[in-house]
Amino acid sequence: MPQSLSYTLVITGAPWATQAPQTALSLAQALLKAGHRIDRVFLYGDGVHLASALSAPPSDEQHWPRLWSEFLSGNNIAAVACIASALRRGIVDETEQARYELTANNLRAPFEIAGLGEWVEGNLKSDRVLYFHGAH
Amino acid sequence: MTTLIVIDLPPYGSWTGREALDMTFSLAAFDQPAAMLFLGAGVNWLCKGQAAEAVGQKSVEKNLSAAALFGVEQILVDTRACAKYGLETGDLLPGTTPAESISETLGQYSRVVFAG
Repeated sequence: MPQSLSYTLVITGAPWATQAPQTALSLAQALLKAGHRIDRVFLYGDGVHLASALSAPPSDEQHWPRLWSEFLSGNNIAAVACIASALRRGIVDETEQARYELTANNLRAPFEIAGLGEWVEGNLKSDRVLYFHGAH
Repeated sequence: MTTLIVIDLPPYGSWTGREALDMTFSLAAFDQPAAMLFLGAGVNWLCKGQAAEAVGQKSVEKNLSAAALFGVEQILVDTRACAKYGLETGDLLPGTTPAESISETLGQYSRVVFAG
């Protein structure tokens, strides 16, 4: 039996602009299948668009935010969108909507909004931290 | 265990490098050892006297000057890229360390984060 490892996955590429969320999801599924653990998924930079509840792609296309949220909820995996990245890009939860007096909120469950400290914690706790970038 | 943050993008034209800098400062804020490596076009981050206001942006110089204060261990700079961009030691912000071999430098760190 190979050693079981814990992972933090960091996604910085946006859905439909890059393949990052798709590649990350495939890897996440493979990790669980192989008996590894995922401590947390951290969305950073343009990756926060994956946490939008308002994405509405054509029905014959993959819906990456929905697929990701189903995967996360189904496997009870914590997922965080970086607050600074999210606020700049218009991804807000109820708390931030109230704080900034915005007209709406659009954070898709089970994503949460939190600071880079969650990423730092991933660096400390997880055996591996993997990054899924965009075109760059 | 020191985390090496690598920036290989120019300081203006993309937000990615700034977000990588935020990651670095965030590690330092939580007392986690961090170092930075500026590669390729990224060496332009370290250029003294940037006139960012001319393109309606804030200069990254100030942020970078604060790196040592925040506890960032080392700011490494790709010497070959400096030559390519015509940057000599005197053109760079103080406190940078030249990195001659990038592969050797990367090999010294077990945690490396490239700017996305």
